[in-house]
Amino acid sequence: MVRNIITVIFCSIGAFWFLLGTTGLLRMPDIFSRLHPSTKCDTLGACSVMVGVAVYSGSLWDILKLILIMCFLLLSSATCGHAIGRSAVRRDIAPWRKSEEEEQ
Amino acid sequence: MKKIISLLFISALGVLLLFVVASMPRMGDPESPTREHVIPRYLENAEEETNSPNVITGIILNYRGYDTSGEVTVIFCALACVLAILGREKRGRIHSYVDRSPVPASPVVKTMVRFLAPFIILFSVYTILHGEISPGGGFQGGAIVGASIIIFTTIFGLWEASRRIPQKFRVPLEGSAFIIFFIVGILGIVGGGNFLTYAWPNIANNLQPSVVLWLTIIVEIGIGLGGAMVLISILFAMMREEEAIAPTA
Repeated sequence: MVRNIITVIFCSIGAFWFLLGTTGLLRMPDIFSRLHPSTKCDTLGACSVMVGVAVYSGSLWDILKLILIMCFLLLSSATCGHAIGRSAVRRDIAPWRKSEEEEQ
Repeated sequence: MKKIISLLFISALGVLLLFVVASMPRMGDPESPTREHVIPRYLENAEEETNSPNVITGIILNYRGYDTSGEVTVIFCALACVLAILGREKRGRIHSYVDRSPVPASPVVKTMVRFLAPFIILFSVYTILHGEISPGGGFQGGAIVGASIIIFTTIFGLWEASRRIPQKFRVPLEGSAFIIFFIVGILGIVGGGNFLTYAWPNIANNLQPSVVLWLTIIVEIGIGLGGAMVLISILFAMMREEEAIAPTA
């Protein structure tokens, strides 16, 4: 019972972060600020879902596999964010500023 | 006005879809039409008839062997079409096209790809070989190998990638899915059964389970290798075309 409650809490946190990330991806003004919520999805959202699943499963092998998946996810998603951001900077994409929107 | 029309359209579509969902048979309903004819037979007899612990593998490679061999042929035809239109890359010419991207790949990405690529390939080997008893199989594993090589090629360039998987190594393997499928199928005829019966059902009855299992694994490996090589060759042909079009710096 306690385990189920913990699972539900962690999975809800993960789902909440995915919701935030998707909203941010749609609502943020430029590539740099969009990158910020979309990488949060992969790291915090997916990882807390996986923590929830690990608590639910409770078997050692499943937890080890989930930790491995989490490591790969953290590595690849961070690298992906880095690559997108770096390429945007190198291509001289100007960051969004508040004044621009007020002028329009 | 536009907004109202689109809102009306979407809500009408939503109501329609909800009606369809409401009239669908329930999840796990034993009397739904999909469960009444072939599924019970597959579930009851597949394991002893196909000797494959995974029913899906049994269905794909045994009951629907013709279908799968057709799919393999379609993949091979796709490669043949790409090569007929774009032509194969010529290795001597690739050298001058190295890394034309305006943004050179960052060391972080290079290191991570170098670190992760072996794990991806290991996972694909696992997917191919374990397709017998768990979800997975040749097509999926081949696609994962192809994806890992695609990542490698986009980061390190076509020259490095085609040095690791040279053309003379790819060319014979591209047709392997097709060829192995038909060799195994014809072995079934030689053994006195029908095409694709996975060898001699009449001879050597006590040997049969392991023979059938091994033949299935061989077919899986063939599909995996062939699929991966086809994907890689299509990618290389398309990249060479792209790089030839790019303006010379």
